[in-house]
Amino acid sequence: MQQGNIAIEVKGLSKDFDVSESGKGFSGKLKALFHRRRKIITAVDAIDFEINRGEFVGYVGENGAGKSTTIKMLTGILVPTSGSAEVNGIIPFKERKKNAAKIGVVFGQRTQLWWDLPVRESFDLLRVIFRVSQPDFNSQIKKLDKALGLDPLMNMPVRKLSLGQRMRCDIAASLIHNPPVLFLDEPTIGLDVLAKESIRNFLTEINRDEGTTIILTTHDMNDIEQLCKRLIILEEGKIMYDGETELLKQKFIHEKVIEVEFHDDGNVIQGIPGVTVVREQGCKTWLTFDNDNYGIGDVIGTIASRYEIKDISVNEPSVESIIRNIYNTRVTRATPSEESRNK
Amino acid sequence: MNPKLFLKFVSVSFQKQVTYRFDCFVGIVNGFLYVFIFTSLWKALYSQFDTTMHNGYTLTAIVTYAVLVMAVRISFTMDDSIIYRKVMDGSIAMELIRPTSFFFMNLAENVGHSLFHMMARTVPIVMISVFLFDIYIPFEVQRLLIFIVSCIAGYILVSMMNFIAGLLAFWFIEIFPFLLFKYAFYTFFSGGIVPIDFFPEFLKPLVNLLPFQYMLYYPTTILIGRASLVEAQSIIMAQLIWIVIMGAICCLMWGAGKKKLIIQGG
Repeated sequence: MQQGNIAIEVKGLSKDFDVSESGKGFSGKLKALFHRRRKIITAVDAIDFEINRGEFVGYVGENGAGKSTTIKMLTGILVPTSGSAEVNGIIPFKERKKNAAKIGVVFGQRTQLWWDLPVRESFDLLRVIFRVSQPDFNSQIKKLDKALGLDPLMNMPVRKLSLGQRMRCDIAASLIHNPPVLFLDEPTIGLDVLAKESIRNFLTEINRDEGTTIILTTHDMNDIEQLCKRLIILEEGKIMYDGETELLKQKFIHEKVIEVEFHDDGNVIQGIPGVTVVREQGCKTWLTFDNDNYGIGDVIGTIASRYEIKDISVNEPSVESIIRNIYNTRVTRATPSEESRNK
Repeated sequence: MNPKLFLKFVSVSFQKQVTYRFDCFVGIVNGFLYVFIFTSLWKALYSQFDTTMHNGYTLTAIVTYAVLVMAVRISFTMDDSIIYRKVMDGSIAMELIRPTSFFFMNLAENVGHSLFHMMARTVPIVMISVFLFDIYIPFEVQRLLIFIVSCIAGYILVSMMNFIAGLLAFWFIEIFPFLLFKYAFYTFFSGGIVPIDFFPEFLKPLVNLLPFQYMLYYPTTILIGRASLVEAQSIIMAQLIWIVIMGAICCLMWGAGKKKLIIQGG
């Protein structure tokens, strides 16, 4: 692999937080005045990964798994306890300002716009901060306006924007200097379906057209399924899956669910190889079948030929259910094949 | 640091202050009240003695000092809890993702704040005081220019002091008591209440070890003519040395504080 092709390189990156605990109630707080129990929490525990230019990577994990901490180290906000990281060949926590000029960052829970200023003025300040020339700025704003519908918002003060409007503006703000790498920390948090959709479309577009490398953390698995070819799953500060999103399904899904609806109730499905009935309710029956060993076509064909059915549908398990499953069962660390990572 | 950017941020911070106009009105009353209390106090004190000169100040001189040191102090108004609040709510993260120096952005924010207070509070307070009190200011162009330079240096020192105090939040998060302590130290040891000349002998070695007297006392003495123009030059030299020392402390603390920083609220 060529050196210049790597956007982000992380090796043995760790971050410990020193947390002092105070006891419960008044007496506990009083004791804490004199003696504090110190506790070290490892938020990110020696993680390694490489992200190539133009990749769109989902970075997921439960609350407190260390996603945001990783992003904050890669953007130069936090200094790691140990390990190394390079973004665009720059060490973020050594050269924060140089790094900041070449990345875009959106933290969904915060805004980088100026609360009291109209959006237009916020953008103009960012233009000066990032030293973008006026013609470049104008054409970039034009492009962002077309994709995100910014025009009606431009003269509104930021504090008057709705969450969805603000998020569109924040995403635009992070792209004013057209950075090669974009970090998005929960950019769709609290947004309605339409707002999510427009943001997803836009992200797909810049990833495809501009070749922007995007790292996205989210709790919305639909974001991941629609956007991210590659998925990194973090658990308690460690990487437990790093590979293609599609491959995750193949790896962890061995069953599919079929929903069958009959014209009247009382039908019992039995004797089809590989098929188990999960639930029966009125005219409907839910089945699972082993998709490693049996083809979907055969199973549906058999059902359709033996019974008179009104409707039939196959439910693909969502990435969400897979990940929920992973969290619940604490599957041992899965390492993807080299081949899948380098695709 | 790009000067154009610096000025832009000064103007943003200035505009933000304009939105709090009621604050400003209260601030004028409050500032004038201080001036009135201190001048009355000096008049009462001086009337108790037969001598007209104390520690080198006539009544006119001490009243002039009281008015002007207050004018400088109000012009130096800045929000010393900015960094503390940014750490408390985690919004400091949004500043660190920009390719700008945190120190200079903070300075720009302070300058905008102070310029507003200077225009909206210092100017009316001085104008009223000139009519109400017996004030004497020797008017020399050169003295005025040196005073302005000394004020700028003093202002940088105050801003650095607040930066250092604010950075403590990287370690302790809750630093409000520190800020109160700092405020008391600054107001007293800068000569903000009583000129340094009136301090008891045993405090003077301490005063000379601290940078506070270069923030308000010395710039004021230049304007009221207590310092000769030659002395004024050495005052400015001393101020520059303190800027270097405090600048170094700012750098060291920033370097160490970065490693301690925790972003509150995710």
